[in-house]
Amino acid sequence: MGVPLWMYLTVAAALFSIGIYGVLARRNAVAVLMGIELMLNAVNLNLIAFWRYQTPFNMSGQAFAAFVLVVAAAEVAVGLAIIIAVYRNRQSVEVEDVDMLKG
Amino acid sequence: MNFGEGLTPEAIAFGLFTILTIGGAFGVVTTRNLVRGAIWLIVSLFGIAGFFVLLSAPFLASVQVLVYIGAIGILFSFAVMLTRGMTNLKERFNSQWWLAGLAALTAFLLLMMGVVIPVFGNTIAPVSDQVTSTVDLGVALVSGNQYVLPFEVASLLLTAAMIGAIVIAREDD
Amino acid sequence: MTIPALGDLNLYVALPAIFLALFTTFLLIIDLFIAQEHKNNTAYLALGALAVAFVWNLLTFNNNTTAFLGMFVADSFSGFLNMIVLIGAMLTILLSMDYLRRMGIEQGEYYSMVLFSTAGMMFMGSANNLIVIFIALELLSIPLYVMAAIRHQDVKSEESGIKYFILGAFASAFFVYGAALIYGATGTTNLPAIFTAVGEIVNTGSDSIFYLVAGSALIIVALGFKVAVVPFHMWTPDVYEGAPTPLTAFMSVGGKAGGFAALLRVMVVALPALTVQSGDAATVWQLTLAVIAALTMILGNVVAISQTNIKRMLAYSSIAHAGYILMAVAAAGTAGVSDAATRGMLVYLLSYTFTNLGAFAIVITLEKEDGTGTAIEDFVGLGRSRPMLAMMMAFFMFSLTGVPATAGFIGKFLVFGASIEAGLVWLAVIGVLTSVFSAYYYVRIIVNMYLRDTDKPSEIVGETQFVKYATYISFTAVLVLGLFPALALNLLGGAQITLASLF
Repeated sequence: MGVPLWMYLTVAAALFSIGIYGVLARRNAVAVLMGIELMLNAVNLNLIAFWRYQTPFNMSGQAFAAFVLVVAAAEVAVGLAIIIAVYRNRQSVEVEDVDMLKG
Repeated sequence: MNFGEGLTPEAIAFGLFTILTIGGAFGVVTTRNLVRGAIWLIVSLFGIAGFFVLLSAPFLASVQVLVYIGAIGILFSFAVMLTRGMTNLKERFNSQWWLAGLAALTAFLLLMMGVVIPVFGNTIAPVSDQVTSTVDLGVALVSGNQYVLPFEVASLLLTAAMIGAIVIAREDD
Repeated sequence: MTIPALGDLNLYVALPAIFLALFTTFLLIIDLFIAQEHKNNTAYLALGALAVAFVWNLLTFNNNTTAFLGMFVADSFSGFLNMIVLIGAMLTILLSMDYLRRMGIEQGEYYSMVLFSTAGMMFMGSANNLIVIFIALELLSIPLYVMAAIRHQDVKSEESGIKYFILGAFASAFFVYGAALIYGATGTTNLPAIFTAVGEIVNTGSDSIFYLVAGSALIIVALGFKVAVVPFHMWTPDVYEGAPTPLTAFMSVGGKAGGFAALLRVMVVALPALTVQSGDAATVWQLTLAVIAALTMILGNVVAISQTNIKRMLAYSSIAHAGYILMAVAAAGTAGVSDAATRGMLVYLLSYTFTNLGAFAIVITLEKEDGTGTAIEDFVGLGRSRPMLAMMMAFFMFSLTGVPATAGFIGKFLVFGASIEAGLVWLAVIGVLTSVFSAYYYVRIIVNMYLRDTDKPSEIVGETQFVKYATYISFTAVLVLGLFPALALNLLGGAQITLASLF
């Protein structure tokens, strides 16, 4: 296998950071949720890379990644439900006031 | 990746998946049209599935395709279509997009320092090509001495999320 | 790979949590057969289940043993934490029953969601593995997002829900990234095994220490969001204001208990060996947590002064209280103090649970159907029109300040004591000063009730049977705990809260 571990970790860190940017910078709640999905995927990439390179005989990395997948699915379901409910009330899902950096 | 030995098929695949993953992610966070955003997301998640194959985790790769692309991607598409005005966002970013960019950049640099330094330049190959199989993962998830507790709690979580989503999204009767 | 027999799992000690989880799924089904006008029956069933779990938890209390072959720990820490969250959930249901009907948002699923969240908190207190902590954190949070947004018609409630959800999911991503890094450094997700591996990494000076520092920093950020400490507190006032009031009470109590339990487990069980250099007494994260605690106490108390809405004021007050509790977690970082600090944290959480739920019960009593009645001005003249109610509210305010002979005092006393013992004297001084300072806005409520008078004292619309029960129970508990703190301490004292004894 020619690709060293640090390259996977770099891709994961980049993906995580892009996700952070998406969450913090986007106005639209659906886009924010997509950013969170990117972050969770970066986590999974980390987990599987660590698992493959460090403890391939122990299932904890893969099992952890499977649980992260479950949680991501649950979060998306609830999140999109809340977003649709908000849309029904306001006809918009802009989250300018969901503003984490100001407070 | 040792370029001195020439490009191995693996290195080429790695480069391709990196472009898909990171490129898709940039698409997700910058697009004006959220239908395209959902498609970019699928591209990015597909790249991750490719990495899983490279890392000898074929089961998770297939689950990634089924759950993320098959279910979550579609769910996003539905949400975008159920809520109008998502295909031509007038303002993509909030007023603090530059602060967000700064935060993301800082996070990236910190992560690089914390995560990549320990293994940078370390080209040691993985321990063995004979890794655990999907069977082992399946056993681990339901075996009493491994992950049966989180497995059961995760099932509760899915039930709670499902009921919760219905409670929120159903029309008032 | 051998699959162990069911008997080896030692399920007995996990039964209170398992019972609650199973009952919740049944309740979802039973609820379908309960007509809308009899939804109180669902609430009775939920209360009954919580009471059963409570008694069961007392029976298995203090077992100091593990179940699921190391995944699940039952010790006096988890036993006591279970007590706190079960009490919190029972009082929440009492507060919700009439309130939901009054506000026209009564749905049977609400009670199931409370139970799901409570089960998550119970699993969280007992989790001995990063994976279990993560899943339990989600099981705790997702029902809270749902309940925050349950008031369809109200834009404020929806916004509260979406804000809480986005920040919660954002924080979860941080948590799990941190957990992944810790897994990368140690090759395991089991907390005691992480403890061993961290010791080795520190001793050998391995580069993996970078992972540990980055991982624990991410976990502190994530749990900081969940328990609302500065600088991750911004969501709290809006979410607390917009969510249905009984749920606000539950979030402020149960969410905190769960988050702090996770923080304590990760920091004290898994990472105590993470020091800057070998020989350095303080752990890397102790100073960080101490500084965060100090900032949280200062900011929470200062901003609380300018609030005009009681729900927002109590939100900032809850931020300040998170600072006091975090002080205990920081103190637990000094070897030898972790028992005292843990005990302090648990007693603080218990007293805060009763006091805060009591205060929210009074807020619910005053809250009108259109959402008004929650301004601090609405308390004017209450001392004359409703002396009993005003007296209890005054008492809760004193307890939140930490005046002696109230439950709040005992909690603060233990936490400050642990902090001094841990060598964080400056932190304890800030704690005392901010407590004195906080009297300003708590006493303002009392001044409004007794010293100012008005022709039209607010109408009491929400004083229904169950809210009354909850108020009286909280009042009695605050009084008894304040006068006879030995009751709680004995329950803790005979047993050491030794997280360290787990391995």
